Amino acid sequence: MLNMRQTIVGALGLCLGTGMAPIHSAYSQALPATMAAQATVEQTCRRCHNDQRRSGNMSLQDFEVARSNERPAVTEKMIRKLRTGLMPPTSIGNRDEIALANLAMTLEAHRDHPDNTPFNPGRRTFQRLNRAEYTRSVRALLSLDITAGNYLPLDTKSANFDNIADVQLLSPTLMNGYLQAASDISRLAVGDPTSTPIEATYKVTRWLSQRERVEGAPYGSRGGISIIHTFPADADYVFRVSFHHETTGELFGSGRGALHTAERSEQVEISVDGERTALIDIDRWMHVSDPDGVNLWTPPLRITAGPHRISAVFVRQFDGPAQDLISPHEWSLASTSVANAYGFTSLPHLRDLAIRGPLNPTGVSETPSRARIFSCRPGHAVEEHLCAEDIINRLGTTAYRRPLTEEELAALLTLYDIGSSDKGFESGIRMALEGVLASPHFVFRFEEPPVDSDPTSPFLISEHDLASRLSFFLWSSGPDKELADLAAANQLSRPDVLVSQTRRMLADPRSEALATRFAAQWLRLPDLERLHPDVRTYPDFDEQLKRAMLRETELFFDYLLRKDRPLLELLTADYTFINERLAKHYGLAQIVGSSHRLVEFPPSESRRGILGHGSILTLTSHPGRTSPVLRGKWVMEVLLGSPPPPPPPNVPDLDDTEVTQDGQALSVRQRMERHRASPSCSSCHLMIDPIGLALEHYDVTGAQRIRDNGVPIDANSELYDGTPLASAADLRTALLARPTPLIRTFTENLMAYALGRRLEPDDMPTVRNIVRAAESRNFKLSAFILGIVRSPAFLMKAGVAEPKQVGVLGSKSPPTRRPPA
Amino acid sequence: MTPITGKHLRRRTFLRGMGVTVALPFLDAFVPAGRAWRQVASAQSLNDPTRLVCIENVHGAAGSTAYGASKNLWSPATIGSNFDLTPSALSPLEPFRKALTIVSDTDVQPAEAATPPEIGGDHFRSSATFLTQSHPKQTESSDVRAGISIDQLYAQRFGQDTPIPSMQLCIENVDHAGGCAYGYSCVYTDTISWASSSDPLPMIRDPRLAFEQLFGAGGTREERAHRRQERRSVLDFIIDEVSSLHHVLDSADRRRMDRYLQDIREIERRIQQVEVRNLDPSASELPGSPAGVPDSFDEHVRMMFDLQALAFETDMTRVFSFKLSRDATGRVYPNSGVSRGFHPASHHGGREQNIEDFARLNRYHVGLLPYFLEKLQSLEEGNATLLDKAMIVYGSPMGDPNVHNHKRCPLFVVGGANGQLEGNLHLRASPGTPMANVMLDMLHRLGLEEVEQFGNSSGVFSLAG
Repeated sequence: MLNMRQTIVGALGLCLGTGMAPIHSAYSQALPATMAAQATVEQTCRRCHNDQRRSGNMSLQDFEVARSNERPAVTEKMIRKLRTGLMPPTSIGNRDEIALANLAMTLEAHRDHPDNTPFNPGRRTFQRLNRAEYTRSVRALLSLDITAGNYLPLDTKSANFDNIADVQLLSPTLMNGYLQAASDISRLAVGDPTSTPIEATYKVTRWLSQRERVEGAPYGSRGGISIIHTFPADADYVFRVSFHHETTGELFGSGRGALHTAERSEQVEISVDGERTALIDIDRWMHVSDPDGVNLWTPPLRITAGPHRISAVFVRQFDGPAQDLISPHEWSLASTSVANAYGFTSLPHLRDLAIRGPLNPTGVSETPSRARIFSCRPGHAVEEHLCAEDIINRLGTTAYRRPLTEEELAALLTLYDIGSSDKGFESGIRMALEGVLASPHFVFRFEEPPVDSDPTSPFLISEHDLASRLSFFLWSSGPDKELADLAAANQLSRPDVLVSQTRRMLADPRSEALATRFAAQWLRLPDLERLHPDVRTYPDFDEQLKRAMLRETELFFDYLLRKDRPLLELLTADYTFINERLAKHYGLAQIVGSSHRLVEFPPSESRRGILGHGSILTLTSHPGRTSPVLRGKWVMEVLLGSPPPPPPPNVPDLDDTEVTQDGQALSVRQRMERHRASPSCSSCHLMIDPIGLALEHYDVTGAQRIRDNGVPIDANSELYDGTPLASAADLRTALLARPTPLIRTFTENLMAYALGRRLEPDDMPTVRNIVRAAESRNFKLSAFILGIVRSPAFLMKAGVAEPKQVGVLGSKSPPTRRPPA
Repeated sequence: MTPITGKHLRRRTFLRGMGVTVALPFLDAFVPAGRAWRQVASAQSLNDPTRLVCIENVHGAAGSTAYGASKNLWSPATIGSNFDLTPSALSPLEPFRKALTIVSDTDVQPAEAATPPEIGGDHFRSSATFLTQSHPKQTESSDVRAGISIDQLYAQRFGQDTPIPSMQLCIENVDHAGGCAYGYSCVYTDTISWASSSDPLPMIRDPRLAFEQLFGAGGTREERAHRRQERRSVLDFIIDEVSSLHHVLDSADRRRMDRYLQDIREIERRIQQVEVRNLDPSASELPGSPAGVPDSFDEHVRMMFDLQALAFETDMTRVFSFKLSRDATGRVYPNSGVSRGFHPASHHGGREQNIEDFARLNRYHVGLLPYFLEKLQSLEEGNATLLDKAMIVYGSPMGDPNVHNHKRCPLFVVGGANGQLEGNLHLRASPGTPMANVMLDMLHRLGLEEVEQFGNSSGVFSLAG
């Protein structure tokens, strides 16, 4: 045992050496005495957590602080509850904060002492590329933008994230998805002059307001859609536009209140790369029962292969405010009865755009993907094989994220031979590319143990695997050339190189993945996609607003990262990123245009940090009302890492409680108070609800309000540790008074995402060590990222527990973690 | 042909093989030597779940009106086996009466308005009730609620052995702004399948998409064959890659790779099955996969039926739900002989001539079925046809569409359901019987005997009469 530790720490010392203290040295001093801490456990904790009462299904009857490392799960739970202030509850009387802090500190010291914690870098089974990683990898390999959702099923999430290896189940359907993707993408990338026509349809969500120009569309247009479509060949393509229609079948937007008149009919423009290629008059009498329905077609249009921006938009026929009886909302078609109510201007809305082709293909022009693939062009048949080998070796090396073995190259060349014997050189390359994309070496991320190592002991992962871990952590994609070259030269694991590469990659635009993938998933932003606030109460809520909210939070996190700001600015920042639409929603003036920009809040503004972001406030609401419970639960779960227990069965829904009492309308707060009168509910809700109640000044869509259901807002409450709250600002201050759980929870999430596995009690000493190291760097974001990258959990991997192989290590085999079956 | 041995071929091979080779006599190779088919059939019935198709027609029937009932425009006059279909919209089913079970006069009470704001919103609510028999929550937001649908209850239990547990098909476009109103989310009108009370499943309208899900990409038969060939080369390549990987992985990862290899071999086997099938010149030609959605309603419906028969034949899936139209659709059916759109015609105003016209539309819709039924009947497996093994439910959550009621709704079942249905039977429920009672009995006959309650069921209405 001792031997092994020395070897491992020695190895770590090697890679962590210069300029950095080895991660394990932080707590090498003597352990603190346990007497006072033991007294606190006995006098305070055991009042409820004893063998008789077993509160929270936990007994500390025989818990000894001095031997706490023997019960890691219980100890870590205690540390967490103590650090958040959730325990002991205020109901048991005044808390001795000094004694409690001492208990937490003592427990941590015992857990974190290197002699007490078994050395275990953890392990996971191999990961497979999820949708996001697949998309980015294809882009890096082929300069091709694809929609992975067309091929791969939704990714299963675990512990917030979509990259947790052990829940990435394999199935024939999933494998078929990868095979189909390989076939289609290889054809799209090489180009396919022989492909038969198909129809690709792009939908416009009904929640999109079609009164203004949409992103990417030409100026002077309104609504519609603008997308990048990759065409497989130089050929004719037919475009079909379909429109929304009334229940009774007439074209929507041509009835009463329509601007659409016989003299000046609405027109749809189709443009390719910004240039108008077709202009179609809309027949205002179109009807579902017509042979063509409410669809219009262009004649066949000649388009070259490769990606082109296609816009199908309405020509803007009006200017200035519409003369409506009711001042215009930011309408969408979320509800036709609202959008088409009397006194509203109504306009035709695009429902979808379909592109059908190729028809009469003549060939394949140069495209970005072809430029990327065909690094050589054989002038003569004898050169073909050499050129193919060159191309395939290069593509394969990038895709497999390491150099190919001779056998692997030979196998791909066999595919080339099959393809080229049939239809020539390009077809052979395409076939080999299909093989590359379908290969388990591309789809999965294997981490092979060193050749002659003991399979049961921890090992340092290879340089190439380290390059992949790093690039998937920071970029959600494979390593670039610089990283791969360093790995090939065995330089990447050198501590100075590892740090400088991490910094280089963070500065690279591709690290946007940390904002759009890590932060978005940690903060639950994808939930926003599924939510549509009640259209009658919130008619202004449209797709544009939702997108602006999402973008705000992503840009905000991206900024913290790029400027290397302290972590807690997440809650305190007096600036944010908004565009005109969002500024209007927040009641801020003088922001014009659709692009987001950094805006500093006026001093009076209470909307600071992410607790003021529309995205968070909306995704924690029900469609028709705010939910202090969901908001409280979000804070406890996402920010504090202490999710409340699930509700007991047979709890009546808040929506089933009365909305009025004695003819008096009730606010959400009043209804909730009636709802949780039951003692079985109140024990937890007393912790959850006050957090959310402090945010009651924000409505379902995150806009500020002073009344709820006509009742003035009352945001007064008391946090679980007794701190009085009356506003979002109070909540922020109260949370920041105990920063430890906030910082650790962030670190845990970042680490789980980086490692592709859920953290376990044995990982917590590493988390605390990373936090301690970050503290000396003022909790800057890069300190956390570097801390993780340099931790043994990131650089190493535990072996597999194999009962028979214990010889080398003596009777004790090192603790290992098996993936759950 | 494989000589007769005691070796038992695998179940899926058996089914595929059967569907493939109409031209060959019953494949004795698939019966272990020395045993009669019937013994095998009973032993295998557990592994041979009924093929379920649930078809919805949105606008009820002319026969649900007082006048229509008196003229037997839907329900025949007599119950039992000697019913006369001549005046009924069901007359196209006469050739299949031996497989036909008609249930008259059940109600879809959950489709009725429960609160004043719901009154009048029937078109935007009732599709969600048809297969769930649950009352949908009135909301335009994301908090939609109905119930789990009968096809999904079945698929979740018995659909897991096939590559695709269930498929949802429809004919008319979804996600119309104009298709949903009265405070109801569009999903209530867009789909009839619900995986749970809050999980509506999207339906596929484009036959090409459905086709590719089932049989792979490629616009022509040759192209598909070519791509299958390529796919097999790629699979060979992958299997080689995996075998070279095996010795470098640790034991935990190796177990996972074994699973992966199984999946790869399963895909390979599917391809082989399709190819075996294509070698047989008498096998029905795969329908050409069209570039998009055909304009003609008849053509579109027939294509969807082709796909369903083909999917059953190749055992890709055993469960379909199929939505023939959207509520309140104005679509005109030129081949029906009725010039009014579906929705306008459904508001017949109680006038006899209009009711007769609407009955012609009903007959036209029912008349699309025999094409499908013939196909299923022609596909034999042992001494049973796929029609004997199928349960095809056709009905509507609407009764008299003129007044938007949900009483005496149309409902019939075709197929033997693996011996669970006798056929040639007309049953009439007592007034007020929930359609859910019939569906509960269907669930029992589909093998979910332990289900005690479905939707608003108040008991079991036996399809055995």
